[in-house]
Amino acid sequence: MKAEAIARWLLILLLPVLLLAALLLRSQGSSQAVELRARMPEQGGWTPTDMIMSAGQPLLLRLTSDDVLHGFAIGQSDEPAVDVFPGKMTELTLLFDQPGKYTYYCTRWCGANHWRMRGTIEVLPNPGQPDPTQVDVPNEESLFMRLGVELDGHPHTDLVPEQGRPDAHRAAALGIAPPESYLVPEYYRTHSPVEVFTALRREPFSASLSDQQVWDFVAWIWQQGTSSEKLAEGQELYTRNCAACHGTSGAGDGVMAAQVAAEYANSGHQSGPTNFTNPQRSLATSPAIQQGKIIRGGMGTGMPYWGPIFTEEQIWSLVDYLWTFQFDY
Amino acid sequence: MSRLELTRIPGIKTALRSRWPQLVLRVIALAGFALAIVAGISGTPVGSRNFAIVFVWIGWWALLMLVAVPLFGRGWCSICPIPMPGEWLQQGSLLKPQGKGLGLGWRWPNKLRNIWLQNGAFVLVALFSTVILTSPLTSALVLAAFLVVAVAASLVFERRAFCRYLCPVGGFIGLYSQVAPLELRVKDSSVCAAHTEKTCYQGSAEGYGCPWQVFPPGLVKNTYCGTCMECLRTCPHDNLTINLRPFGADLEKPSGRKLDEAFKAFIMLGSAMIYSAVMLGPWGFLKNAAYNIGSLQWLVYAAAFLTFIFLALPGLFYAAVALGQALSSNNAQVVRVRQRRPFSTHRQAFIAFAYSLVPLGLAAWIAFSLSFVLANLSYLWPVISDPLGWGWDLLRTAQAPWTPYLSGVTPILQAGVLLVGLLWAARTALRTPAAPGARPVEPRQQVIQALPVILFCSAVSFGLLGLLVA
Amino acid sequence: MLKRLRSRLANGGWKWGIFSILMLLILISPVPAFSAPPADRHIKINASSFEYDPGVIRVNPGDRVTLELSSTDVTHGIAIDGYNLQVTAEPGQNQSLTFVADQQGTYRLRCSVTCGALHPFMIGKLHVGPNTLLLKSILIATLGLAVMIWTGTRQ
Repeated sequence: MKAEAIARWLLILLLPVLLLAALLLRSQGSSQAVELRARMPEQGGWTPTDMIMSAGQPLLLRLTSDDVLHGFAIGQSDEPAVDVFPGKMTELTLLFDQPGKYTYYCTRWCGANHWRMRGTIEVLPNPGQPDPTQVDVPNEESLFMRLGVELDGHPHTDLVPEQGRPDAHRAAALGIAPPESYLVPEYYRTHSPVEVFTALRREPFSASLSDQQVWDFVAWIWQQGTSSEKLAEGQELYTRNCAACHGTSGAGDGVMAAQVAAEYANSGHQSGPTNFTNPQRSLATSPAIQQGKIIRGGMGTGMPYWGPIFTEEQIWSLVDYLWTFQFDY
Repeated sequence: MSRLELTRIPGIKTALRSRWPQLVLRVIALAGFALAIVAGISGTPVGSRNFAIVFVWIGWWALLMLVAVPLFGRGWCSICPIPMPGEWLQQGSLLKPQGKGLGLGWRWPNKLRNIWLQNGAFVLVALFSTVILTSPLTSALVLAAFLVVAVAASLVFERRAFCRYLCPVGGFIGLYSQVAPLELRVKDSSVCAAHTEKTCYQGSAEGYGCPWQVFPPGLVKNTYCGTCMECLRTCPHDNLTINLRPFGADLEKPSGRKLDEAFKAFIMLGSAMIYSAVMLGPWGFLKNAAYNIGSLQWLVYAAAFLTFIFLALPGLFYAAVALGQALSSNNAQVVRVRQRRPFSTHRQAFIAFAYSLVPLGLAAWIAFSLSFVLANLSYLWPVISDPLGWGWDLLRTAQAPWTPYLSGVTPILQAGVLLVGLLWAARTALRTPAAPGARPVEPRQQVIQALPVILFCSAVSFGLLGLLVA
Repeated sequence: MLKRLRSRLANGGWKWGIFSILMLLILISPVPAFSAPPADRHIKINASSFEYDPGVIRVNPGDRVTLELSSTDVTHGIAIDGYNLQVTAEPGQNQSLTFVADQQGTYRLRCSVTCGALHPFMIGKLHVGPNTLLLKSILIATLGLAVMIWTGTRQ
């Protein structure tokens, strides 16, 4: 009898206690934290999608993925992105000083709908803090909005360089310079290269230049408006966010291109991601249009909208980089 | 008879007879089983970070296929947790008999006293295996289903009905245990003849009558003895022992050969071949077909799977056997064609020769298992610190990275195992004796009748080599 | 013991002795020197869930191989059995792995980043030269079977 009793106690000890311990440990670890689960967008994306917290109060996030490698970052923030691994927990503490609505997004490609994997964090003001909706913050309009440019047109020109890509160095080697007015960012950003070319062609300084040399000056003007740091930043942004669809060479032949084209084939829009290496289209596009497209997205074409994700500076760096598909700097 | 009675070694008999080591192992196994079910249901859906997948399909499977079955036969069955809750309820105690337990105690129906149900259960699991092996929730539900069925079986039928007639794992463990170098047998059958109570089968105050419904004095093969050691405890004459014996000793015994066991050999061999192609091959469309259950591709895959293991493979084997019989018929003797052949019917020959596929199938499964076990064994370390994928780090191994082990050597091991399996299968085929009581077969006939079977085994082995090593 | 050994040898065990020697010779025999000169190879591998395209790659021993991994849906990786090399790539950001294929044989490529349910079964193959293991195995198997059949059913 005694042996049997001992045996039964052994059973009771080893089994339920283990399970109880498991459940206890779980509830203990996550008392203060919010568990954020990541799944591919087709399977639900982020859960929960929308979070609420208070300004000045830290929020502990426990991030995990239920399928593939994802990443987490807050839009327009300097904080580095954090990888979210399948089956592992990553802890991250969020702290916002300013109330407002923030967007967070996935930073590792997880399929063609990767860009849709976003969520919002509403940061409520602390008592005593001014309510953001009542504060008069001058709303800085983006360039494309101020200009009211048409983003959904089909820019096209037949006036393109005949002898290869415009090269800024060749123009610099000539020792002359176009009028200062062309170098004002507000000017060249609001005009397409072919418009700038046509204007330069009429200027006295270009009287003795060939068409190709004038194109080189267009490239030179574009180069003056950027720097190697901005181009490097633009390249990194492009590689991480755009290359999968638009291709590493900018030709619209990225690994996701075919799928995107198929998905939007019947939308009436162009089929597939834009080919930046096509001069007939690119040279007829102004940087303002590009900025607008990036901020607002493609409106039913599969081009994501990046307004809440990138800062204005980042977007200009990206636009600067896009021109390296047409110009040699 | 080269047998070494292990129970003569001091300490072994006491350890086997004592209920405590066995109970401790059973409880540990049951705890692991329970954790697997809990982890599968509430843990991360990522298979490689979930205890349910890693410990069942990598850890336990490796233990079973690479160690337990080849060396200990049905040793796993001795400590398997699945029937334990039901058995404890049925017996009413964890150790010695205490009195009456629960349950109706019905006899298992005669018509079902075979392993066809187990064959079917295994095929069912096999058809859904791609999902079961990768989805923690599905795995947990399957394991829980086994548990429920086992408990129900214990409460309705007598003894270990689930283990003997329903468990899909038991089907192949039993068949392959014929290969193992350990066996549980009576020492002296005359002692049994004189003993009228037969407590080994009826039970006594010391223990239960064989839960596996095996009659120990009649034990000739390992197939249905679950090594639970009850008979060692109940025999008043200490007439039972565990012997160390040559590998594969059961394969050459002509008694107890049945069609259900023969088909089990085909099911195992065929599924090893299909898994080698689907899971370890470079063809993504096969994997997706096997995974997307319910789709048209899966239906085609399932149909091909069933056709291969139930029709194509046995059909080819039957042709090989028939050819062997035809080639080896002895023209010099009797008038009737049938009597000239070593086996009087092709069916008899088919069943007899199917046992050559036992070492072949076991080798195939070991070779197949080596690849994914060695490549993924390193998943065990993070999972013991974080079984549910909740971010724990109990033993400080949660960050251990995935590292394939012995990846350069694995093909050599696989080839070696397949080679041994092939030669052993050939040996078994050559030594396949005619039915007891039949006319003795000339050595030359014996060899010739086995040749097409050996050809079949070679084709299968080379095919597996091609899939696993090439 | 000695008597048993002698009777075994007399019965046909000597045949197995010859087999053992032949098997050893086959095993240790060096692979015939490969005639093709080592070349530089650049192979682009597209990875999707759950296969590689191309799924089978053939190179010659000594080749300097660059594998460019291009993931087409989620982040994938390649780990090469035997060489113990790894590379990981996210869609849009191809990564390359360069190595010298100095080990002859057939090696599995396995995905090294969890990329979904069937991730552990995402497998490709790298053939470096002829698969001598396969050839030797078949040779030894055939030899062994021949000896076994020749020895017949005697003990």
